[in-house]
Amino acid sequence: MESMKGLVKTRFAAALLTFSLAAAFAGYFQLGALPAQSFPFLSWTGWTIQDFLKQPRPNVVFLGSSLMLVPLDGVDADYMNKRVDGSQHHHSVYFENQFDKQTGLSLRTFNFALPGEMPSDGYLIVKNLLTGEKKPDVIVYGVGPRDFLDNMLPSPSATDPYRFLSRFGDITPIAGRMMPDWNQRLDFELGKACYFYGKRADLSELGTRAASSTLDKLVPLPANTKTISFDDRRSLMPDFRPCQILAGQAWFRPSTAADRANFVDNLSEYKKRYAKMKWETYHSQLSFFADTLKEAKANGIKVVVVTMPITELNRSLLSETSWNAYKNGVLSVAKNSGATTLDFSDSKDFTQSDFGDTVHLHAGGGKRLFDMILAKLSKNQEVLSAFTGLNIAQRGRQL
Amino acid sequence: MLFNSLQYLVFLPTVFLLYWLVPHRLRVPLLLVASYTFYMTWRPIYGFLIFGLTLGNFLLVPLIAKTDVVKHKKLWLSLVVAVNLITLGIFKYAYFGMDCMKSGMNLFHVNWHEPHLHILLPLGISFFVFEFIHYAVEVYRGKPLVNKFMDFALFASFFPTQIAGPIKRYRDFIPQLDIPAKFKWEYVDQGMQLILMGLCKKVLLADNLTLVVQAGFAHPEKFSSIDMWLITYAFAFQIFFDFAGYTDIARGSALLFGYKVPINFNLPYLAANAAEFWNRWHISLSSWLRDYLFIPLGGSRCSVPKLYRNLFITMALGGLWHGAANHYLLWGVYQGLLLIAHREYVRIMQAVGLHSSLVKSKVYHWASVAVTFQFVCVGWVFFRAETDQSAWQILAKLAHAPLDLLHFSTAQLSVLQIRDPIIFPAIVLLIPGLMISQPVVNWLNNKKFYLNPPWPVQVAAMVAMLCVLTIFSPDTSPKFIYFQF
Repeated sequence: MESMKGLVKTRFAAALLTFSLAAAFAGYFQLGALPAQSFPFLSWTGWTIQDFLKQPRPNVVFLGSSLMLVPLDGVDADYMNKRVDGSQHHHSVYFENQFDKQTGLSLRTFNFALPGEMPSDGYLIVKNLLTGEKKPDVIVYGVGPRDFLDNMLPSPSATDPYRFLSRFGDITPIAGRMMPDWNQRLDFELGKACYFYGKRADLSELGTRAASSTLDKLVPLPANTKTISFDDRRSLMPDFRPCQILAGQAWFRPSTAADRANFVDNLSEYKKRYAKMKWETYHSQLSFFADTLKEAKANGIKVVVVTMPITELNRSLLSETSWNAYKNGVLSVAKNSGATTLDFSDSKDFTQSDFGDTVHLHAGGGKRLFDMILAKLSKNQEVLSAFTGLNIAQRGRQL
Repeated sequence: MLFNSLQYLVFLPTVFLLYWLVPHRLRVPLLLVASYTFYMTWRPIYGFLIFGLTLGNFLLVPLIAKTDVVKHKKLWLSLVVAVNLITLGIFKYAYFGMDCMKSGMNLFHVNWHEPHLHILLPLGISFFVFEFIHYAVEVYRGKPLVNKFMDFALFASFFPTQIAGPIKRYRDFIPQLDIPAKFKWEYVDQGMQLILMGLCKKVLLADNLTLVVQAGFAHPEKFSSIDMWLITYAFAFQIFFDFAGYTDIARGSALLFGYKVPINFNLPYLAANAAEFWNRWHISLSSWLRDYLFIPLGGSRCSVPKLYRNLFITMALGGLWHGAANHYLLWGVYQGLLLIAHREYVRIMQAVGLHSSLVKSKVYHWASVAVTFQFVCVGWVFFRAETDQSAWQILAKLAHAPLDLLHFSTAQLSVLQIRDPIIFPAIVLLIPGLMISQPVVNWLNNKKFYLNPPWPVQVAAMVAMLCVLTIFSPDTSPKFIYFQF
């Protein structure tokens, strides 16, 4: 009883109560909440999302990691014979033109392949962004073993794409899978329980903007000087926003077989990525992959799964168990969801000379891959019939 | 487990609730289990180290008390101190020792490939080893033994002070364990206020200043001499808020259980001389160094040369205690020289009859505070620099500042050209603000404002701290600086 009397008098309890009421009030009116696409800085993912929201509905969306992204942009650089800014260029001119040539269908493509994208990120893209007026007809989804077996991924919510993509929908139904670690989960639940904590990214961004404009008045940039370059800032502060990228920083330059960059041996990186079979990562990512295909199917989007080619060098790092788990898992999920599968995982059509490193096809190898994909898709009736928004006469000519 | 982690947000309230729910006889065992859990979340194996040292000291120290023969007492004390220092030496100084040996052998053109020992520094070892040595020396000096093993084990492992102090005294701490304290809401009010203040110091001030300090000390060539002074001041405040923040959280956490642990800071940047600085900075360490190193060396009751030798050795070893690297040793040496220089200065001023009149002058006092702060900041360069060569390079740059100030323009300030993150241009305002805040806080202390502020002011302050902490807490916060020691 005495304790209860004390509780009424205690200053901390009063402070906690006041704080909770303030948070509830702010939450009710969504004070300081920024639009989902208002990012404090842009990484590759941020640029891609912003561009996607500006562009008209695409017919084909490419999903996948850098295994898909690098050849798509590299091929375009060669095809257009001009350098392509990867963070700004989000479609495949080559694919659009070649598909038009082969089928007479004039497509819009959008490249949603992102560096480090995992199937869990792919799921968020499909679930939160490829919907409604933005729903494409077809998804071409390139996957590789790293997407399911990466030892360096602490959890699905640890990727750069997650930070941006999670702003576009409610994560609650998949929170358990996205945040298997109790620490992350607690952080998420605290964010839901306390508006200030959950919206701290937005609120601190507003605070930073206000402070920044005040500082511009109080301590302006000195006359005859300019702000330091992004590269200089990165060299001073390598850990500050490591994923941030500016326009004009990720060029794909046109190349020919004669002047391509030398093959890069990145096996040491992949030795770490494949160090052991992490079954929890595998099962988690495979379930996201299955959900992605399920979600797409439910929305009437045709999915084409492309198991990307990798070099024999890289393949040899994987145990038979890991390789079989990857390949059988992907193929079985694709089959069960009615996706079309183009399996290049064991393809003998690609040799080490088609690659820039042990996993990424260079522009030349990429062109061969997309030619093969185009050849197959242009004859695939399921795929062709999925294009709903295209010129009927064109469709009729093909069907 | 870090104080600024979500783990601690779950751990602390859980232990707090259990502590006040269980009967008094179970409280020490509960805190002991909690403290070992806290420690072993980092590396479980090192739980055995702290337990082994605790058991060893608990069994060996009574041997000092048992014998009446002074020679034997000394022998047992030496053994206990040696066991503790050898353990500390192996874990903390093995690599440094091998590096020194290698450098020495290189001088004689001997190429020695030192073995890789795979030793990881156990968290808090410097702190609990010092607590053990203090216990042994006090028993040697005739103070009572701790009879209950659990009490002794908790003294060394008590989680609020386990990793980075304050370094406790067993005669202050152990008696508190026997008091069957009743729960008071005061504990919550005072404890939480300290914890919130500590977190604000760490997360809002120290962590933000880290960006500027890291950039400046890693790339001094990119900044002007005046920038480097600002960055050095930024480090002075970063390390102060980082460590004072840690200490506040430690003291607040202990207070939630009704325990008081010593303060570690008393507005150190208001010190008017080097000696006063050490009475205000890391008080539990400086008093330990005084009681268990400086005094045993002969203290100040000896000839002037011997006194200076004692000061020098104490501070040099104090520097090395912070880390096994030359720049920490240099920092300690610098502090020793500062203390000696101050004594010499006072001696000269007394000799010419100026000292007593000057000391009474307010202008002289504040000038002394300003000058002492500059000297302390110069010392921080040794402390923060990644190597001793880098420290000299930065000091050379700082020395250039008077010339650069002659033709000063804001264009010299590179920090103003980095607009993102905003902490860079902000330090131009923040550093003077922090400097001014010190006498303001001192004035409020003198008015006893913090002892009994109005109830609404306290509540409003806590609400404000809760808001800024939830909104501005970064996804990841750097470890406390003193965790590495």
